[in-house]
Amino acid sequence: MSAPLIPNLFAVCKVLTGAIIWIVQQILYALAGPVPPLKGLGDWIGSDFIVTILTWFIVVTVVVLWVSVINLFTIMWVERKLYSRLQDRYGIMISVWSLPFWPFNRTHRPTHKGMGYLQNLADGVKLIQKENITPRNADSAMFHISPVLIASSTLMVFAVLPWSSGFYVANLDLGILFILAAFSLAPLGILIAGWSANNKYTLVGGLRAAAMLLSYSIPMVLAVIALVVFTGSLNPITIVQQQDRPIVLLGTTLPIPAWYVFGPQVIGFLVFTVAMIAEMERVPFDIPEAEAELVEGWTTEYSGMRFGIVFAFKWLRMLAASALISILYLGGWSGPVFTTLSVGGIGVPIVPEEVWFVLRIYLLSAFLVWLSWSIPRVRIDQILNLGCRRLIPYSLVAILVAAGFRAIG
Amino acid sequence: MDVDWELIAFLVLSVFEVIGSILVVVNKRLVRAAFWLAMTLVTIGVIYLLFLSEFVFLIQILVYAGAVPVLFVFGIMLTRRKIMDEATAERGP
Repeated sequence: MSAPLIPNLFAVCKVLTGAIIWIVQQILYALAGPVPPLKGLGDWIGSDFIVTILTWFIVVTVVVLWVSVINLFTIMWVERKLYSRLQDRYGIMISVWSLPFWPFNRTHRPTHKGMGYLQNLADGVKLIQKENITPRNADSAMFHISPVLIASSTLMVFAVLPWSSGFYVANLDLGILFILAAFSLAPLGILIAGWSANNKYTLVGGLRAAAMLLSYSIPMVLAVIALVVFTGSLNPITIVQQQDRPIVLLGTTLPIPAWYVFGPQVIGFLVFTVAMIAEMERVPFDIPEAEAELVEGWTTEYSGMRFGIVFAFKWLRMLAASALISILYLGGWSGPVFTTLSVGGIGVPIVPEEVWFVLRIYLLSAFLVWLSWSIPRVRIDQILNLGCRRLIPYSLVAILVAAGFRAIG
Repeated sequence: MDVDWELIAFLVLSVFEVIGSILVVVNKRLVRAAFWLAMTLVTIGVIYLLFLSEFVFLIQILVYAGAVPVLFVFGIMLTRRKIMDEATAERGP
């Protein structure tokens, strides 16, 4: 029922690689007159091995840029703008019209009345210029390794996270498990960051983060197990394909899509969503950086772009978590294609899968932002009680219900 | 020339694993020891991947690399760095 805009990212990137290699080869062949060995070099560059390796590099680069430039900036902008509107103010307004050179500095236009999209870019430029300060008694190596560990483990999620049935880096059979494993690597980095800065606030923040992330990854994995009992697969693309159909109840086809949230999996959905909000340290569960008690939690001692990395990684985790929730429970990228245009013989769907998926991610993120700016933060004992006494039993109930439905058929 | 890449990968990973596990025992800073433990466990997981058992690899990452070192560091963080530094100073000349 749905169709992707990019049916195969690898093939699309291979065309790009082929074009680049062709240009380089032409230059090398032109130079091969005076320097004969360049002819062999040109032939070697055109070989399948080099083309495949370069294509993989380009695929990874495309996905990393798509995630960590386009989507990261957009989601930061959405959050800052949305919570400003919730607090009845304009929020960030630095935009392209605030740039200090022609054609943007038009005198009849006020400079700070834009959409504010460039504010995060300006913040990033500011953070890159700042000095990297290491606290005096800090464990320097650990202090500098942990942002890398945190950021890389979060980016690893996007290696297998598909954005449509064709827009992915790798399609593993155990994709969901890989995403959960990559998600579970960050607590170690957070703990090391909190401990190595030799500051009581970072230490307490890291301790709280460890307690919370460890206790909430158990109901998260249990909810996924309940879903897997139902789907019988851990491949995200298969899971989405199973939801791409209407619900059939007692022989009648209802006009409701068969998303897993509309059914016995709703308990698992609630448990998984709450656990995911805790995993990304958003406000109802943001005791690791409770501003009123700990200065900035475990990120207190970081400065410059290292602070930028550990700060922006929360939005990356929000992207990954929203994508995971929509793949597992909200139908992923399934949605109607209204018409298919034909551009040069290639069918282009007018509303491709990528649009449906990005729409779901941003609506879900907007919901999470709304939630986190509306309700107060809970105490640490309440958080651990909620995790151990409510979520784990509910996820076990979800497994039981899923197994029961599976047994009935 | 036929190179057995799997054997080379296995040997490199084994070297990392042995060095990591020695550093776990030898290191005086306990958090660093926990970090090396995480590296050792990840390398063991990659060796599982070399045996084409992806599921064991992912479970190894999820449980042993994600949770076990965190528990160790969680315990260590309840102590203060100063205590360990004093203990090291006492042993000095």
